This record gives sequence, C-alpha cells and structure tokens, in this order.
Amino acid sequence: MATLLDILTTAAILYSVAAGLLIVFGVMKIINFAHGGFLTVGGYSALLITKLGLNPWWSVPCAFAIGFVCGMLIERLVMKPLYSRPLDAILATWGLGIIIGQLITLGVGREVQFVQSPVSGTIDLLGGTYSGYRLLLVLVAVVIAIGIALLLNGTRLGLVTRAVIMNENLARGLGINSGLVRFITFSLGAGLASLAGALITPLSSVDPNMGVPWLINAFMLVMVSGVSLVSLAVACLVLGGAQVLVSSWGNPILGGLTIVVLAAVVLRLRPQGFSRG
Amino acid sequence: MADAQAAAPVAGAAAGVLGRTRLRSLLIVCGIALLVIAAGPYVLPTYMVNGLIRAFLYAAVALTVDILWGYTGILTFGQSAFFGIGAYAAGLIFTHAGFGPGYAALALVAGIGVAVIVAAVVGWLAFYHGASPLYGSVITLVLPIVVSQILYSGGNFTGSSSGLSGFESFDIPIEAWFWIAGCFLVVLTAFAWLFVRSDAGRILVAIRENEQRCEYVGINVSRVKILLLVVCAAIAAIAGYLFASVQMVVAPEYAGFVFGTELLIWVALGGRGTLIGPVIGTLVLDVSTSYLSGNLPFVWKLVIGFAFVVVIVALPQGLMPLIKAAVRRLFGRKNTETADFAPRLDAAVEQPYAGLEGAGGCALAVRDVRKQFGSLKVLEGIDFEARRSELLSLVGPNGAGKTTLMRCIADGNERSGGTVLLNDHDILELPPYACVAFGVGRKFQTANVFETLTVAEALRIARTRLAPPSLWTREEGLALPHASMQVIRATGLDKQLGTEARYLSHGMKQALELAMVLALEPSVLLLDEPTAGLTKPERTLIGGILTDLARDHQLCILLVEHDLDFVREISSRVIVLHQGRILLDGTVAQVVESELVRTIYSGGHAATGGAA
Amino acid sequence: MSRNSIRLSVGAVLMGLALSSGGVLAEDVIKIGIPVGLSGANSVVAPSVVQAAELAAEEINAKGGIMGKKVVLEVADDGSGAAGAQKAFDSLIFQKNVNVLISMETSAARNAGLPIVTRGKTPFIYTSFYEGRSCNKYLYVNAWVPDQQVAPIVDYFNKNYKAKTYFLIGSDYAFGRGMLEFTKSYIEKTGGKVLGEEYLPMDGSDWTPIISKLKAAKPDALITSTAGGAPNVTLTKQLRAAGVNIPYGNLAVDEGTAKSMGPDAEGIFISGSYFTTIDSPKNKAFLAAMQKKFGANLKTPNDLSVPEYEGVYAYKLAVEKAGSVDADKVIAALSEVAFEGPRGVIKMNKQRHAPLTMYLGQVQKDGSVKTLSTFKDVDPGAQCPNLK
Repeated sequence: MATLLDILTTAAILYSVAAGLLIVFGVMKIINFAHGGFLTVGGYSALLITKLGLNPWWSVPCAFAIGFVCGMLIERLVMKPLYSRPLDAILATWGLGIIIGQLITLGVGREVQFVQSPVSGTIDLLGGTYSGYRLLLVLVAVVIAIGIALLLNGTRLGLVTRAVIMNENLARGLGINSGLVRFITFSLGAGLASLAGALITPLSSVDPNMGVPWLINAFMLVMVSGVSLVSLAVACLVLGGAQVLVSSWGNPILGGLTIVVLAAVVLRLRPQGFSRG
Repeated sequence: MADAQAAAPVAGAAAGVLGRTRLRSLLIVCGIALLVIAAGPYVLPTYMVNGLIRAFLYAAVALTVDILWGYTGILTFGQSAFFGIGAYAAGLIFTHAGFGPGYAALALVAGIGVAVIVAAVVGWLAFYHGASPLYGSVITLVLPIVVSQILYSGGNFTGSSSGLSGFESFDIPIEAWFWIAGCFLVVLTAFAWLFVRSDAGRILVAIRENEQRCEYVGINVSRVKILLLVVCAAIAAIAGYLFASVQMVVAPEYAGFVFGTELLIWVALGGRGTLIGPVIGTLVLDVSTSYLSGNLPFVWKLVIGFAFVVVIVALPQGLMPLIKAAVRRLFGRKNTETADFAPRLDAAVEQPYAGLEGAGGCALAVRDVRKQFGSLKVLEGIDFEARRSELLSLVGPNGAGKTTLMRCIADGNERSGGTVLLNDHDILELPPYACVAFGVGRKFQTANVFETLTVAEALRIARTRLAPPSLWTREEGLALPHASMQVIRATGLDKQLGTEARYLSHGMKQALELAMVLALEPSVLLLDEPTAGLTKPERTLIGGILTDLARDHQLCILLVEHDLDFVREISSRVIVLHQGRILLDGTVAQVVESELVRTIYSGGHAATGGAA
Repeated sequence: MSRNSIRLSVGAVLMGLALSSGGVLAEDVIKIGIPVGLSGANSVVAPSVVQAAELAAEEINAKGGIMGKKVVLEVADDGSGAAGAQKAFDSLIFQKNVNVLISMETSAARNAGLPIVTRGKTPFIYTSFYEGRSCNKYLYVNAWVPDQQVAPIVDYFNKNYKAKTYFLIGSDYAFGRGMLEFTKSYIEKTGGKVLGEEYLPMDGSDWTPIISKLKAAKPDALITSTAGGAPNVTLTKQLRAAGVNIPYGNLAVDEGTAKSMGPDAEGIFISGSYFTTIDSPKNKAFLAAMQKKFGANLKTPNDLSVPEYEGVYAYKLAVEKAGSVDADKVIAALSEVAFEGPRGVIKMNKQRHAPLTMYLGQVQKDGSVKTLSTFKDVDPGAQCPNLK
C-alpha cells in the first residue's frame, strides 16, 4: 500500500518538476538546462517569503512571478539567437544554470537555508500514516496539469501555442507572431520551474545547487514524453513507478539510475517514447 | 571526352606538392612544440610541470571532444567516462593486483578494451539510423552518470567517493612524465590535424553539415559515428591511463558529468572545430584556474559561466578567431591561411553496376507500394516498372504523393507496405545508404549540399563509397565518372572547385547536387524537380544532360516535374499521380492529350475511379 | 594558425615563469598550507576552518612565533574534490614551499593530495573526521574515526531506549558506507540487530522508498550517515514529514546544519569530539578569542574547525621538540607532543591517530546541542598497523 502511495506521490513530484521543461521543449524544441537553476530560484523565493515572515503559501505565487521574470530576461538576452541551434541552446542554458547557481552563492551564501513549510505532519490513510505534504503534492500536480490544459485549450494564447507546436512555419504563415509565443512560453516554463522549486522545499534542502539533482530526471522524462502533457503523466507514473519499485525491492542506488537508463532504452526501441504517433 | 576510359586514377601521387608543404609545416610546428616540451622541465618550476602534465592529458581528451563535437557535430558529454575508465583500469589493477610490467600492460589493454566496448554499446544506442542529434547527446549524458554511479557504489573495491590513492606506479621522475604526456599530446594533435584535413576527415564535416545527404551518397553515417566514437574513447582511455599512472590517484569525478561539461567549456572557449583552439583553451584555462580560483573561487566560476554563455551565443567559433585576428593585427600580417584546396579533375574508371546484365533491363520495380500517416493514405497501390534508358516523368498536382514515392524508393524504411526492387534487389527496410549500393541516386527537391564544404570536397564525398578516401592525405586528383564531369563542365562548376557551396548561386547548387548524385554512378536516378527555380537556359542545359544520360549511359531516370513543357521535351514516358494513385501511365503523347490530366491541372476534380 | 599557437604557448611559458618567481622561500617564516574546499561540497564549513587557523596563527605570532619564526598561512581552494586538490597541493608544496599542510578536506581531496605530499616530502595533519584507515608516511590525523564516534550513540540507545533493532541509512560514498559498516558490526557485537541498511546516491534527493522500507521494518532506532549539507537536510525533512519519531542518531550533522533544518532537527542525537557547549576553561577562552577576533563575521566553530586550531598548535609543539622544520624529524615528533585545546588534551600517538574524548549530544528546539554524556579518551583502534 505504501508502495502505491510512493509511486503516486513520486510521479506527482516528477510531473510538477518536469512540466515547465516540457512546455519549453514542446514549443521551442529546445532543452532548457537552466531548468535546474529555475528550480533553485523558486527555492530561494520561498526562502524570501520565510525571511519576510509571510505565510508560506505566499511562496507559490511569488516563486512563479520571480521565475517568470527571470525567464523573460533570459529569453530576450540569451535564447533568441539560439532557436536555430538546439544543441548550442543546451550548452548555453547549462552555462546559465552555472551563472544562476554562482549568483545565488555570492548573494546568499553556499549554506543550506531554512524555509518554513506550509504543511507538516502525517495523514492516516488506509491503515497507515503517510506524509501529508506528499499527498498534497498529488493534488498540486493535478492542479498544474489542469491549469496548463486550460491555458492551452481554453485561451487564444493556447490556441496559437498549439499551432506553433504543430507546425511553426505554417503558423507563421498564418500571421501568428511565433516570436511572442516563444517569449511567453519560455517565461511560462521558467515560472513553472520556479513554482516547482518552491513546492519541493519542504522535502528538499534549499541550497545553490538544489535544482541540479532534479534536472537530469526531468530532462529524460520530457525526452520520452514528446510534447504531450498526457504522455508526460504516463511517463512519470511508469518511470517514477519503476524507480520506486527498483528502490523498494532492489536497491535505491539502482533506483536512482532507473529513470535515466530506462528512458534511454525506451527511446532507442521506440523513438517517439510514450507519445502516440 | 574520349579520354574518359583511358585516364587512370591518380591515387599514387597521394602527397602532392601542396600536401608536402603542408606536411613540412606540420612537422616544423611539431618539432618546435616537442623542443618546447623537452625544455619544459628545465625552465619551469615543479608545480607548473605537475600542472601541465595534467593539462596535457585533459587537452588530449578535449581534442577528442573537438573531433566529435566541433567537426562531426556530435555534442558529447561522455568523453569523461572513457577517461575515467582508462584511469580506473590502472587504479584498480595496480591497487588490487599489484604493479609490474605485465600488470601495467594489462591495465592499458583492459582500459582501452573496456572503453572500446562501452563506446560501441553507446554508439549502438545513440547513433542508429534516424536518431535525432538530441537523442545522441542524451545518451552521452547518461553514460558518465551511470559510470560514476557504478564507481560510487563499488565500496572498497573502487574506493567509492574517495577513489583509489597511493597505489604503486611507474617509478620514473616527474620530468619524464612531462615528456611522455607532452609528446602524447603533440603526436595526437598532429595526427588529428592530418586526419581532419584528409579526404576521410572531410566526411566528418559533411556529417555535421548534412547527415541526410551523407546517407544518400551511400555513407553509413551511423557506422562512421560509432567508429569515430570508439577511436575517441580509446584515446580518452589512454589519456586516463597515463593520468592515473602519473598522479597515482583515481576518483569518480574524473569519470563524471561535470568533468564532461568542463571539457565542452574548454573546447567552446578555445574554438570548436579548430583542434589547436581546444588544446590551447584547455592548457590556459586549466592552469590559470589554479591561480584564480584560489582567491576568488565563486567569482571565477561565475566568470567562466558568463564567458561560456557569451561564446555559445555570440561567438560559436570560440575565442580563437578573435585571438588570431588580434595577433595578425599586432604583427601586421596578412591572412596566411592557404587558399582553398582545389584538386585537378580526372575521369574515373567507371564501374558498371554489378548484376545489371542479369537484371533484364528492369532497373526499378515498384509493386503495390503504400504509404500512410495514421489514417491518411498518401500512396496506395503504386505499381510500375522502369527500364534502363527510360526517362520517366512523374507528374501530378501538389500533394499527389510524388515526393513521397521518391522517398519510398530510396529509403526502405519509408513505405508502409509493398515491395521495391532496385536492379532486382529487394530494398526491404534498408536505410538509404544501402539503397545507394543497389544503384539508386536521389536528388532532393531543394538543393541539398554541404554548405561549408567546397565543390571539390563535396564531390569527393560523393565518391566515398566507390573510391574509399585516404585517412591521412588529400588526393591531388578528383576522379569523377563521365556523366558527373559533364554536368560540372557544362555548368562551369569546374572553375569553382575551391568555392564553398554556400557561396554558390541557387542554380549552381542544383547542378552540384546533380553532379554529386551522378558521381555515385547510379543506374536509377531519382530527380525531384531538378529545374525548380532555374533560368530557362539552365533548364535547357539540364534537360539536355538528362536525355544524354538516359541515352548514352543507359540510366533509368525518374523525374518529378511540374513544368509540363519540360516533361514533354525530355520524357520517354509519363506517370500521372493523383491523390496517391497512378492515374495514367503512358507515352508523352498519350498523357498530354488526356482530358483527365487537363482537368486535374486546371483544378477541376476528376473522377479518380474512372482512371483506374 | 599553428604559428600563432606557438606564440601562445611561449606566452604561457613566460607567464608561468613570471608567476613562479613569487615562490622564493623566505627563511625567517614558517609557512602552513591549508588546502580546503572553499568551493564545492565543503564550502559551507571551509570558512570556519580558515578562521580557526587564523586565530591559532595570530596567537602563536603574538607569543613570538615558532622558534622565533613568524607563522604564515597559505590557503588554497581544493574545490572539495580530487582535481582541485591536485592543483592546490601542487601549488602549496611546490610553488609556495609550505613547511606543513594542516587541513580538513573531503576524502577524495585528501587521497588525491597524498601522492603529492609523498613526492614533496611534506608533513600533513588531516583535521577532518573521516571513514578511517588512510595511511601515509607523512600523514597524521587528529579527528575522529568510526571506531570512536559510533559507540556512544549505540550504547546510549541500548541503555536508555532498550533498542534491540536498528535501521541504517546513508549516502553512497566512502564516509557514509564506512561509518555504517562499522556501526553495523558494532551493533551486532553488542547484541543488537540491523533490520536494514540502505544507501542513496550522494546527489539523490528523494528518500521516499527508503523511508517506506524503514516504516515497514519498524526498528527501535535509526542511525544515519549521509553526505554533509543537502542530503542530510532532505533526509531529515522527509523523515519528519513521514512521521518517523523513533530515536534518531545522525553521524553527519553539525550544529550549523541542524539550525538550517529548523524544528525538524529537534531531538536528533549526535556524537562528536566537539560541541560549542563543552564546559571547559580552554573552550571558553577559545570561543571568546574567536568572538573577539571575528565579531559579526564569526563562523560558528565546530567539530571540523576546532581540530584545525589544535593541529596548528600540535605542529608548533612538534617543531619545537624536533628543533627544526625538517620533515622527518617533525613526523617523528608529532606522535610525542600533546596539546590541550578546546577538545581537551590531544596526542596523536595511536598509529598516527588520536584518542579523543567523545560527547553525545541532542539537538534542542533552538538548534543548540545539549551534551548528554561524555566518554573519556576513546581509542581510535587499529587504523594504520604498519605505521608507528
């Protein structure tokens, strides 16, 4: 039973962390290696809220806003020239991740920070106790998924974005400002990453490198998901579940490699990964 | 062209005049570098000697990163893993088995062997036909993560995070290590320099520029990449072995992802695709880091991060071009770069396609070929045969499936069903390079060439399959089949052999691609709108060449065309495609007179059922 | 291109020469090299280590130095890893020509430095607790090893909580595994039982499956040994979030990290050779001097920085006993001198390691550590049987 909950909550956390990366990859076909940096930004946004003595829930909108603004700046300054060079974009965003980490180190310090958690304690569930916050994260992941789905399917921006995802040249031909779509998408991706960073602070340490361990797994999940939010959810459940199972029944060290290795093999055997088509 | 059959290839004169001067300057440079290295331990302080030994070995690995990434376009994070494998082979054997000449040799062989095996597996994973470059990078990213994790979980055997230290190693003084590492780097750089400038080395650039075109000139790109990765892995493993032997320590970080990215940073800052740039970049950055990072550890890393981003975004060629320009200005020198290498044209001994005689003149047979994307049927029940000397035009409105049909003939993976026979060989699900071996040559709709390669280099690459290129030299002569030569001479490309393709006019690019395809000596030629965007005289010229090819060289030519006048002038037979089906298959006269064709082309809807 | 490259390399050589001229040995000073992780994993604790060394040097110089020679510190960043350590050791030993190296480092950095220490024939006092059994002709250690640290916690749990079954969790690295392997054998030796021993990669951040295993096993007590900093914090947070409230001994936490965990750290048992709360005149004097010297910039002294302070003094006594800075003589003398510092009297006379007084403490609500019991002169055991 606990294993099932572990799988569900692990998948939810992975989903929250990877969603921003997926959006950027979907629209721009670019892997944003500064994603780890944005997660860190979110963690420190939560730290700011703690330092200001506000209710910890404020860190959610605050992290999103700060991440969004960072994303806007970086899109204009760095990403724009790189859209035609996807491999270079990986490197440049990796460099950005280093810069974000070092700026935080210089500004706040290298040490682990204390951040107030919005929820603590456990919940009695199905004859056992389970971490309340982890269960809450499942809800949060669902909310994020619904939010993105509404944004994509219910708004004009979403329509335009979907057009760019499907066929950018055609969309541009139809008079869609694909540059603006990219700008908003990247900022949104950064905002979501930062939001996820704030959300994992009760489970993670807050330090300048806090985002890095999440990066590779999120990256691999996005690679096997193609551009679909649904297949990302499937990938998180399947690969996250495999990680939990390998860790529980085998060995957590192998578990740590599960997502990365499985994703690589899945892509080799089925290049479209978990997406249809 | 009476001399076409008489002229022998000139492979014998491998290192010609130009090659010899290049070779001589290379030897001089190497000699000076070796002298500097020989003098190093006497003039440099000990700590600098120690630091440079490490930097030399890092630079050797950076060199392999440059060959993979800078030249071939494979963004790799994984060379650190092979360095680590070489290092740990030494560390593990010297620690657990002991040290001796036998063990030293064993460790070297084991390190190279394991690295080669791992590289082959990684290559198989990363470089299958149709793999995206992003996927390849992902695999190289996974590799160091997995390797360092294995090292971490190895407990006392691998020393886990602490690594292994204090094992016995070669008892030779530090100065000798300096010479060994230095010579290793110089010799390696020299060989790399020769290799990337050789005819074979140009294939790497061709792969970087246009992998698809490489496949369609018959190069097994996946195999080239895997071989290259295996060789680079072996080199990195040797560097790692030397590193462990001189430092008497191994640690997981040498096999890790961070070291892998550090190598990329050095290469990017030094200048990718220059060999010397990454070597200098590594030496300067690695040595200077030890001074600057001591005082300002975080600021220094920040500066490196900034420099890296700026270089990637604004100076993809790295800092080398800037430094070069500055040095040139400082010394008031002109560009000393030699003019682009332009070889002499020779006629090749043509190799008539084997097995053609027995093929009974049927060059191409398409049987019940289907292609669908999901529920969308693009081609249905396509059935026809084409013989040698036939110039068969495929016409039909946009979206009729003409280009898709071409694709299905030249790549076994494309069609959803049916059979394609090229000279009686079933193409099964073979990739394009294998179809080339069955005699097919495909020219794409938009000129598909290698932008940064010269005309001569591109033609040489097209000859790779029939005339395997040298690994170390550039041949003086470029031997081409008669038909290819004809296109080149007729279009004036022979006067632009040293020009990079990106500087050619649109028509010239089309001609170059055609010449490249003809250099494959194909028996079935697939041409997708070869005259699109050409001027009238150019079109007439190409038309003339095509009819010559069909008549004199007995080629089977399949031509996609929109221009019906052009079709009428040159075709011996026409197939009309409409909505994925063959509507008409007949002589020019039959088709041109057909009411059906007129209806389709005037935009009306014909009853397709009536034509079947 | 190639001509330019020659010019560049000549330039690099000249630069090297210019920089090297700074390394001329001055006869009237004693140089102490401190290779330490100013960047990387150790960068949180490194400043406190440097401060401790600075205070020791200042005090010694104020009283006339070592045999009349002024003490000078040379700090170098080892990046908390092997590659950085090689640069740092090379630079300190061959460029700065230090007389001795006294520092806390990661095990990887120490291991990478040892061959260079051997080559440069320089004494090296290692002041970090570690997994044990690192032996080299030039190496001394004045901090604890598993043999000294584990017993207090296990004994306390056995006695006060009647703990019979244990669960062990660690980071997958040399220290984590070394500590827990020793802990396991000690628990079994004292009649207890280990229900599970689990490791997560060093950069792992999700302990969920391990915590579920722990909860399923229902042990009496938990002992962890993670990498310092982030993994320790994530594990503790996730343990608390999952409602784990059994006695929890943490072999890798220090007072500073405990503070950053906030209320989650409360109740954790820790064992070490130094807490700021040690009630001795020497410790009080030391803390006062640190406060006076660094004021608001003071990094809280800890179990990694105090041995650095004492290491500098141990070296002073050894040089004075040997009557010279000659490496071999100092190495011989180091095992014979005893210095009384904040941690008590320390003598590195057990196979290059030192018997230490160990303290068992518990983290309080405000993050401070309350000493529960004291264990006098715990023996380090057989660390280097081949060395004196």
